[in-house]
Amino acid sequence: MNSLKKIMMVALTMLSITKIDAQIKNAKTEVVKIYGNCGMCKSKIEKAGSLKNIAQVSWDKETKMATLSYDASKTNQEEILKRIALAGYDSDVFLAPDKAYSSLDECCQYDREAKVPVKADAKTDAIGMTVVNPSSVSESQKANELQSVFESYFLLKDALIKGEGKLAAENSQKLLTAITAVKMETLSMDVHMVWMKVLNDLTADSKNISATQDIKKQREIFKSLSKNSYELIKVSKFSEPVYYEYCPMADANWLSKESVIKNPYYGSQMLSCGKVVETIK
Amino acid sequence: MNNFRLIVLFFFVVLSVNAQKTVRYDLYVRDTIVNFTGKPKRAIAVNGQIPMPTLTFTEGDIAEIYVHNELEEDTSLHWHGLFLPNKEDGVPNLTQMPIKPHTIHKYTFPIIQNGTHWYHSHTELQEQIGMYGSFVLNKRANDPTFRKGIDDLPTVPVILSEWTDMDPNNVHRLLHNASDWFAIQKGTTQSYSEAIKAGHFKTKVTNEWKRMNAMDVSDVYYDKFLINGKSESQLSQFKSGDKVRLRVSNGGASTNFWLTYAGGKITVVANDGSDVEPVEVDRLLIAASETYDVVVIIPADKTAYEFMATSEDRTKSSSLYIGNGIKQLVDPLPKLKYFEGMKMMNDMMKMNGDLDDMGMSMSLNQMDMNVVMYPEITGEAKGKSDKKMTGDDYNSNKLSDITTLNYAMLKSPMKTTLPKDVPVKELRFELTGNMNRYVWSLDNKVVSETDKILIKKGENVRIVLHNGSMMRHPMHLHGHDFRLLNGQGDYAPLKNVVDIMPMETDTLEFNANVDGDWFFHCHILYHMMSGMGRIFSYENQPPNPLITNPKLAQRKLFADDRMFHFMAENDFATNGNDGEAMYANTRWSIGTEWRLGYNDMHGYEVETHIGRYIGKMQWLMPFVGFDWRYRRMGIDEHEQNLFGQADTKDNRAVFSAGVNYTLPLLIIAQAEIFTDGNLRLQFERKDIPVSKRLRMSLMWNTDKEYMAGLRYIVRRNFGITTHYDSDMGVGFGMSLNY
Ligand SMILES: [Cu+2]
Ligand SMILES: [Cu+2]
Repeated sequence: MNSLKKIMMVALTMLSITKIDAQIKNAKTEVVKIYGNCGMCKSKIEKAGSLKNIAQVSWDKETKMATLSYDASKTNQEEILKRIALAGYDSDVFLAPDKAYSSLDECCQYDREAKVPVKADAKTDAIGMTVVNPSSVSESQKANELQSVFESYFLLKDALIKGEGKLAAENSQKLLTAITAVKMETLSMDVHMVWMKVLNDLTADSKNISATQDIKKQREIFKSLSKNSYELIKVSKFSEPVYYEYCPMADANWLSKESVIKNPYYGSQMLSCGKVVETIK
Repeated sequence: MNNFRLIVLFFFVVLSVNAQKTVRYDLYVRDTIVNFTGKPKRAIAVNGQIPMPTLTFTEGDIAEIYVHNELEEDTSLHWHGLFLPNKEDGVPNLTQMPIKPHTIHKYTFPIIQNGTHWYHSHTELQEQIGMYGSFVLNKRANDPTFRKGIDDLPTVPVILSEWTDMDPNNVHRLLHNASDWFAIQKGTTQSYSEAIKAGHFKTKVTNEWKRMNAMDVSDVYYDKFLINGKSESQLSQFKSGDKVRLRVSNGGASTNFWLTYAGGKITVVANDGSDVEPVEVDRLLIAASETYDVVVIIPADKTAYEFMATSEDRTKSSSLYIGNGIKQLVDPLPKLKYFEGMKMMNDMMKMNGDLDDMGMSMSLNQMDMNVVMYPEITGEAKGKSDKKMTGDDYNSNKLSDITTLNYAMLKSPMKTTLPKDVPVKELRFELTGNMNRYVWSLDNKVVSETDKILIKKGENVRIVLHNGSMMRHPMHLHGHDFRLLNGQGDYAPLKNVVDIMPMETDTLEFNANVDGDWFFHCHILYHMMSGMGRIFSYENQPPNPLITNPKLAQRKLFADDRMFHFMAENDFATNGNDGEAMYANTRWSIGTEWRLGYNDMHGYEVETHIGRYIGKMQWLMPFVGFDWRYRRMGIDEHEQNLFGQADTKDNRAVFSAGVNYTLPLLIIAQAEIFTDGNLRLQFERKDIPVSKRLRMSLMWNTDKEYMAGLRYIVRRNFGITTHYDSDMGVGFGMSLNY
């Protein structure tokens, strides 16, 4: 009985394979790598890539290799891989959008080997573009020493706005790295003084945030982190205006590059709660 | 003394002219065949390419551009955003006569500004089929406004556009005939069955009760969207850490584009060719004909980041990959929640067709009513909530952590104030329109129905625009930049296009400083061709040497929006032929309906009406007509109508007068009196959207005639039908329409 079932299964599979072959005209076959983990990934990849009568994808979860067969007069490898990437799966041609990857189920969140990490200084560089009149150039160069600290702070804040504990922990780790990288001897006198004052707390807070993924705890610690950062940014200045904002419900402040309120203490539930209390230029 | 000053001035001008560099371009305009979709189609290429070549100058140059018209039709080129003498502005029949086939026209003007601009044909619909290109004006190296870190970045001109396989004249005709073919292609029919599925039946009924057809954020379905003429392309010369300045122009004929970037924030550094203080955003919408300079950075090695332009209706997008290596994609924009948009429109629409902003004074794109349709801002569709909306509920920057650019965020790096102590002329316009009949106007008048607006040289002109229509309109002024009053005080940004969303009010002002007849119009090509614009004309200006016969020029200019559009359809059914033909323009309609049986008993009947549409919404149409019928009933049977009058259906040739009025639920009520004294009242509703492709029509009148029909739309001009008619009985058939 059981073997009969098996035979039927095999026959059926055979049938479906031949059927597929019959459907796709001028079929061209290629084997490419697609990053993924599990059986669920397999069905998602195959569904995203296949298109009735035009393209058929079959992915092997052991080898991570996918066999693409498609009608070369109607589509091409790029189009298929783009659809798969939009579903969350990297290949050697396309990287999935971050949102598509992060909305995959946990078991599907494969290691993104194909993705090259962002250079730490790239982001800071973007800011250097802000127009500065010649008289303030030297001042802003000094500020650059702390630039990456503030940039990491803003990344951490953005993660808290989104309510993503994992991302917040990662960004806090970056903040910690940035703090330890600061060469204090290059700081000007007044900045140096404040730096010495807040250094310990800053280090402790960023370490504690990076040690947990519990968004509630992270937000609590973020209060004092924000307060110390504020003291620092007030003397050291930033290359563009920074807004010191206040949330009455959390009774806490934060720093932002935008005057538009996006509350890191409540995220989406109370996103626009709060007001700007000071503009630091 | 005065003479002496003139002479000195003259020498100065001559000297500086001599010091200038003349830069010459030759443009050969030719018919071509393109293949964007797999089907070869006609297009127009300049120097063999689409888009037209990028023209580059430096401030202070003299431009000399020779246009060689090798088409079999007229053409012209308009230099969008340029300050130039009026006769070089390139608007046919207004600033010059059209460039005739196989002739050469020379444009020449000094370049007295810098920034990102573009150029395009201003003749008929040529802009839709290839005649658009970038026009880049570099700053001089010693320019005091030169911005280190911005003006010295590597620069790439980027021009956005769209492609349709359909002949644009046909696109234009279909728009005027309220064809819903584009909606079917876009999947935005918003029919009753789709409404029921989405839990929005009541929304749909209310919408039709308020006499609205399904509304969309775009008018036309396009097959492809293009960046520099391609759906996908790559700039692989850039590497990690590089900053790139993209000079983006929207050369689309009717498409607004969302711009998003996979490598992080987009820094906006200029708009419409004028510098603005750098502002970082996650995304921006570039309206048709606007230009934005944006700076993006490549954050990682061996990676190309997607810069994506998505049409506002989100049907498709086009990608530019910046960098070399694996392609990092950006999140695609999720599909619009149309029924949420419909519900929002219902709330805003008053019964008389006016829009009601419910006390939210809206301006500068800060509140976008369409956010109710954006899942990335307002979440996935979630059925109904009856919460009263306030201004903050439409402010996308407050609703989400995505920062979207709006006009209030643009700030000029220098003061832009106008001369003081000069007279101020204030003008107000309401942007008006009517999607059902595709009439677009200012103050309910099209170009040909108005005189030129006279302005005096030296005065400041302030224009207050209010959009009372249901579509957004990018209004463009030729030959001048205006200040857009956006709360930045003396640092209001300079623009030459202002995109105004429904219900918004925006104020702009400029100093009248160059003689001429300057066009001010909506830059949606099909709105402009429908007459949405005005002409500003300087008082006491010298005549334009290129317009030798001003009367003729004006008549040809007005011909654009006076144009009639033709449509016809016929249902070939088992029980007879049923059809209509219509020839209509902004105000007039000549329509004929016929019912032709296959034998005398079923009868033959032709009714012709010539009418004029009245009012902004054009719900009222008085008409005169002629009615001819012939029928044999076998036993010479006479009938009576509902009013007890003898029916003359069997043999009738009479004139008539009457009126059509559109009732709620888009029912057309018709009262008609005939020269034989007979009176007829009729109610008819055509094309009820039952499902995506199924339409139902219903009719009843006091001659005791009635009809019910169904039509399934198979292709643009082909459908399968069934109907029941009181004269001809049940029939099945197929309908053909043009
Ligand atoms: Cu233009
Ligand atoms: Cu318009």
